[in-house]
Amino acid sequence: MNGYLGKLLTVNLTTGHIAEQPIAPAHLRDFVGGASLAARLLYDRLTPDLDPLGPDNPLLFMTGPLTGSSGPAVGRYTVCAKSPATGLWAESNCGGFVGPEIRFARYDGILFTGRAASPVYLWLKDGKAELRDASHLWGGDTYETQSRIKQETAGPLTRVACIGPAGERQIPFALILNDHGRVAGRTGMGAVMGSKNLKAVAVRGSAHLPIANLAFKELRSRANVELRNDNVTRVMRETGSAGAAEYFNLLGSMPVRYYSRSGFDEVSQVSGAGMAETILTGVSTCHACVIACGRKVIIPDGPYQRGESKGPEYETIVGFGPNLEISDLAAITHLGQLCDSAGVDTISMSNIIGLAFMMYDSGVITTADTGGVELRWGDARTAESLIQQTIHRQHLGEWLAKGARECARHFGVEEMVVQVNGLEAAYHDPRGVTGMGLVYATSPRGACHNQSDYFLVEIGGSMAEIGVEMVDRLASAGKAESVARHQWWRTLNNSLVMCVFANVPPVTAFNLLNAATGFDYTFDEFFRCGERGWALKRALNNRLGLTAENDKLPKAFLTPYAEGGAAGNVPDMKVMLSKYYAVQGWDQATGRPTPAALARLGLHEVAADLWGDNIRNQVSEEPSGATQ
Amino acid sequence: MPIPFPSDAWAEAVKDVINSDVEYAQVAHKWEGDTIFFIEPEGSLTNPTALYLDLWHGECREARELSDPNEKKAAFTLTAPLSVFVRILQGKLDPMQAMITRQLKVSGSMVYMMKNVPTVLKFVKTCAKVDSEFPTVN
Repeated sequence: MNGYLGKLLTVNLTTGHIAEQPIAPAHLRDFVGGASLAARLLYDRLTPDLDPLGPDNPLLFMTGPLTGSSGPAVGRYTVCAKSPATGLWAESNCGGFVGPEIRFARYDGILFTGRAASPVYLWLKDGKAELRDASHLWGGDTYETQSRIKQETAGPLTRVACIGPAGERQIPFALILNDHGRVAGRTGMGAVMGSKNLKAVAVRGSAHLPIANLAFKELRSRANVELRNDNVTRVMRETGSAGAAEYFNLLGSMPVRYYSRSGFDEVSQVSGAGMAETILTGVSTCHACVIACGRKVIIPDGPYQRGESKGPEYETIVGFGPNLEISDLAAITHLGQLCDSAGVDTISMSNIIGLAFMMYDSGVITTADTGGVELRWGDARTAESLIQQTIHRQHLGEWLAKGARECARHFGVEEMVVQVNGLEAAYHDPRGVTGMGLVYATSPRGACHNQSDYFLVEIGGSMAEIGVEMVDRLASAGKAESVARHQWWRTLNNSLVMCVFANVPPVTAFNLLNAATGFDYTFDEFFRCGERGWALKRALNNRLGLTAENDKLPKAFLTPYAEGGAAGNVPDMKVMLSKYYAVQGWDQATGRPTPAALARLGLHEVAADLWGDNIRNQVSEEPSGATQ
Repeated sequence: MPIPFPSDAWAEAVKDVINSDVEYAQVAHKWEGDTIFFIEPEGSLTNPTALYLDLWHGECREARELSDPNEKKAAFTLTAPLSVFVRILQGKLDPMQAMITRQLKVSGSMVYMMKNVPTVLKFVKTCAKVDSEFPTVN
């Protein structure tokens, strides 16, 4: 079987039984790999009454057919389960070196079920796996844990994905971290690991990957050269993902003071360019990546002095910077590192702190709730205190650690919180890039920018070959189909698994996939795999209780700014959603993909599961606007 | 009267427009970086053409067509086929879109460029103010 190892390693943590499970070739062809394939493999196990933190929640580490192939930015893996943050489908992909190593160790993925009686880690080396005691590692941070496991196994070349204390305490926005601070950050996959007493996954392998076509090598080289010389790549390499911070600030798409203001005067102090001119000392990469977006920084002096460590990327910078009105890049670096070490997602954590500040300003909470800490915008020490309270579930942290949605419910401020379906929003404000409103409202994992970073299209990243055209960033009309098609493309990215920072043309990815697998897809077939994966995840979420009522934005995104590059503008969700449903083939009343839409994608079993006896009535009712 | 693009006269016209634009002077008051447009032959343009613009603190100090494209080195170069430059200057192609979609190749410090995006965008808009006569592309 070319392109794939064709099997999962299965680990029952309750019994300690370890085995192999073949993957049906038809599933590989239909879903490609990564998150889409994981959704298909887990579909039957993810039920409405399944406790995300219970032993029955399956946890799947999944790679794609290009992972480890040294193709353009494909050194990634994804982690999937039912999310403790949202109660819906969870996927979170991660760079570094763990994904390729899983494949070199001869598996396409690792499926964990059950719960270990005491802390363990998995040690997988060249097809041989064992569970090892991790009691001595419990309580350790994510960097310390990596170091110790490397010492206990194959040394520096062991790759370790692990959780920190936050994951152990099952905080619903806990992350998984590997290598130099690469994280599967969103949807709480670290909490699921913690619930299973699984501290880490350690991998080492040496197998060669099966590639179908010798032309792959030539295609790969050409793709990497093109990517290395690409304008966007050069911006990423020189300034990191925060290189566009000044531009987003100008557009009014970078939120300030927990989404209540637009425009941050000190943006150049915290941007990627600002970092490059001050604390940046080097760059870091994922496996075989020519972009090198990772930042290495040194804080030479001052209260946040530290030796060389990971520098923050865009989301962390905005979350702990403009979002909290902090303009000290050293402090932002410190807060990001604190989150990474403890193992919490910086987007969620910074959102939750922003919410706490707003509640404090409004008098909803006082120092009686915060353990005596006065919450002040721009004060990094206050933010640090709230992170510590959250990780230890102390004082206000008891509620912050439940996530923004639950915290807001507890304090009766649901209209204040900025989240969709339990996931705190990423820092791309739909008032400045309206397509992101549709993205956030319809993403299978909540207000997420990685299911579609459509804001890039709205500033110029059009892709004519897949019908994704640039439409005025402030307009709502004319965007629905473009957003849908971009989501299908990013679903393919998350299947391959290819980094969304890589400005790789879809036809290049298509050629690489065909050369690696020998599947000989037509381009339409390839692109439909993205549409199929998107529909499957939607159906899965419908199965878990999601309806059309869930496809909505928080109040903040529908409240126009008075000033800045997005002044007076809000996304018109009514205009976008109606057309979007038609394009996706979703039923307007229930929000489910119609039986006809599912059948068109070959998802007959899913249609039967979702619609049951109603299927015959629905097959003939596919909306006329649906595209092929 | 429209001025032919690309030409020495067009570069001179850009200089005049920039130096009389108060808004540009304000936005670009910190900008330090000369720029070369490398225009690749297409349609009725049969030879590669290079236009040099020395931009300094909100002013254009020098502007001309280079007799030899390699005559000068500049802090930034923008390279594209004629049709891409024409569409950008006509307002039919967003400059950021041209860059992201690889139609326009940019070289120089991306750190400086990203820090000064408003200046870069204002510069393009100001160039587009020149009453230009564009050659036939196809």
